[in-house]
Amino acid sequence: MTEPAITKAAATDVGAQQPDRSQSYARRVLRDTFLRWGARFGLAWIGLLAVLAVFAPFLASSHPLLLSEGGQWRSPVLAHLTAGDAVLLALFAGVVALLPLSIAPRFKLLALLALTLIGGGSAALTLEPPALTIHAQYREAEAAGKYDWVLRAPIPYSPKDYLRDYGDTGLEAPLESGRYHLFGTEENGADVLSRMIHASRIALGIGFVATGIAMLIGVVIGGLMGYFSGLADIVGMRLVEIFEAVPTLFLLLTFVAFFGRSLYIMMVIIGVTSWPGYARYVRAEFLRLREQEYVQAAEACGLSLWSILFRHMLPNGVAPILVAASFGVASAILAETTLSFLGLGLVDDPSWGQMLNQAVKSSTFNWWMAAFPGGAIFLTVFAYNLIGESLRDAIDPYLKKAKG
Amino acid sequence: MHIYILRRLLLMVPTLLGITLVVFTVMAASPGGISAQSLVEGQNLEPEAKKALEDYYNRRYGLDQPAPLQYLRWLNNVSPIGFEVADDGSYGSFSFSKGADLGDSFRYGRPVADLVAERVPITLLLNVVSIPIIYVIAIAIGVHAATERGKRFDVSASLILLALWSVPTMLAGVLLIGFFASDQYWRWFPTAGLSDRAALDMPFLPHWSEAGDLALLFALACAGALLFVAASRYLPAALRGAFAAAVGAALGLGMAQQLAGGGLTVALLVLLLGGLGYAIGRAEFAALRTALLGLTGVALGIGLAAYWASGDFTPGFLLDRLWHLALPIFCLSYGGFAFLAKLTRTAVLENLLADYARTARAKGVAERDVLWRHVFRNSLLPLITVSAGLLPGLLAGSVIIETLFSIDGMGKLAVEAVKGRDRELVLSITLIGGVLTLVGYLIADLCYAIADPRISYD
Repeated sequence: MTEPAITKAAATDVGAQQPDRSQSYARRVLRDTFLRWGARFGLAWIGLLAVLAVFAPFLASSHPLLLSEGGQWRSPVLAHLTAGDAVLLALFAGVVALLPLSIAPRFKLLALLALTLIGGGSAALTLEPPALTIHAQYREAEAAGKYDWVLRAPIPYSPKDYLRDYGDTGLEAPLESGRYHLFGTEENGADVLSRMIHASRIALGIGFVATGIAMLIGVVIGGLMGYFSGLADIVGMRLVEIFEAVPTLFLLLTFVAFFGRSLYIMMVIIGVTSWPGYARYVRAEFLRLREQEYVQAAEACGLSLWSILFRHMLPNGVAPILVAASFGVASAILAETTLSFLGLGLVDDPSWGQMLNQAVKSSTFNWWMAAFPGGAIFLTVFAYNLIGESLRDAIDPYLKKAKG
Repeated sequence: MHIYILRRLLLMVPTLLGITLVVFTVMAASPGGISAQSLVEGQNLEPEAKKALEDYYNRRYGLDQPAPLQYLRWLNNVSPIGFEVADDGSYGSFSFSKGADLGDSFRYGRPVADLVAERVPITLLLNVVSIPIIYVIAIAIGVHAATERGKRFDVSASLILLALWSVPTMLAGVLLIGFFASDQYWRWFPTAGLSDRAALDMPFLPHWSEAGDLALLFALACAGALLFVAASRYLPAALRGAFAAAVGAALGLGMAQQLAGGGLTVALLVLLLGGLGYAIGRAEFAALRTALLGLTGVALGIGLAAYWASGDFTPGFLLDRLWHLALPIFCLSYGGFAFLAKLTRTAVLENLLADYARTARAKGVAERDVLWRHVFRNSLLPLITVSAGLLPGLLAGSVIIETLFSIDGMGKLAVEAVKGRDRELVLSITLIGGVLTLVGYLIADLCYAIADPRISYD
């Protein structure tokens, strides 16, 4: 992104050099952050998860990627693609295509949104995945010698493929039988690795969407509180206190137990229960910023409230929010895990927490059922925490003083 | 000061109202909500019996009234001042001394106050044991990491602490139960509950049938502790590392013997524990190293004494309880001390670089006194702030721990209440949790004034 010379100098001593005024504050903070190895590791793991999540149907599926039947080629995986898969693929393609372009982030976001909507909409209209999925059909047909050749996914098992056609499936330790289950199988015979890959969608989705909702509410309420202070501040702080005084987990439990267990409800609820922290940070930042000259100048120009708050003040107060958001994603993932673990999670789709719950519920202790999904949760939470930590170090003036 | 406390206590009232209102709204607005139908649902009853039961619930809990009225009714029952309620449900005159009533649980049919009074001591026991552990370890590691800023101990400690903080409690609990409390691996700890049934009949303290065993136990435990502490303190680093690695490897070998596993298991365990021992033995932080090695020595001494003992041994109630608490307490505290240790490090570091610390050093105060008398006292403030949030955090943590280890505490009650749509119980637990949290904040603010004379609330 930047010239190698600058990167090198900054890498040797992040804080010592004079801040480079040619870049915006947010950009400088981000650059400082991702020069740290912790943030790099975190970003790498999350990127890997994102790729796994997007390409899950091609990586772990009982349907062959490509097969030839009597000289005719067809791709059962594509035939079983759902609209959700297509939206994710469109989103991924959009991010990959738009990220290197140098246009304003606003337009990037708009273009991404349009691309996703168009891709998803057309996919929803054209794709017709069969209502009834028979996982065993291709294996049986292959065994019967109907196909000339078959190209299978790297993990040839779908998350809900219980391998009934083999007749002897059940609990299997990793690589115990010749069927090549890298991470073993759960009690019903489904492949643990395949379930984990498909569940990474839930983990990532919950993290991003819940934190996004919480940030949105927190920034609006906190911004108004900090900007207006006075009565709005008092009322707002009471609201913040109320939401902080209920143990979050308990509020979550109540919400989920009474409103049902859909993924989207869970995202909204985790978002709605975790906004007070953001509101506090934004309020503190805005209380500081509103005294500054550029805000007064913006007011004197007669700019609209929206413009003052979100175009002028927010970018200068965004750093602590980013730190909080990074830790927030981690705790949102943990919240989903906890809910699933307490038996209040998603019902039909596997999630990491639900897999952990399955491991607890089973009558014997099968380490692979607990260690792999649990390890994935741990790594993801660790990755977000590492990013948060690096961000915090990057904006911390004390640390710079200490190093310089 | 008194006026300040009074004002804070009065300010709690609107907040508590808000909390219960939020939770009640969630319950009332949910699809299905709370109704007599949902209570009798699933019970296999004649239609008439069902109707009669519904009427009974409606009468008893006022479930057929509109939601706002239900909330007001509950509020009137809970608040110590309000309208008196006669036995037939009619409202009498306004009273200032009618007393608070938390109501009856839907599911258990018993007063909520009784249920809570049974469960609270258990959760408190868990938390009261873990909070001191959390603080002692956190302060020891955090302060040392700050004084060693940028060195090996600091860097590795921050990474390990961040990792520890990221380990979900469920994962730690499941693995600990699976490996150390199940028949498949090492059955060292009990799986569930807070005490064995047999332990309820035992005397409080442990008991030995032969005095010789007790003497042996003391002698071996002391000998083990002395040997390991001496090794930790007086051996040079390389020898120390080798010694600890050898002990770890021997322990690993012993653990592998208890399993049926093949050579791979043995090698893995020996390497793992040997490596851990080596890391501990080579650690620069003398206090931590000595404590860990000393504990290992004591444990080894006790183990040998138990192996050679000839008479009968009754563990007694206390030891049995501690045995049951070991794993839950560990699961409850590791996240807390990881978080707190990082915080301590930041706070101490900030103050170590402050001007007043430099002044103290310049006038010749010993570094030890600078650290503990000047810097540490000033670093207490953020620790106090966090302690306010620690209590509700631990309460939430006990939800998972209690479910995992089948301990009948508040956390488990909360999950059961929510799953059973038990209106009175859910509201009461919310109220109690809210009061605890707010009182925690208040105590933290008061402790501020004690720790820092510059702060006063008059």
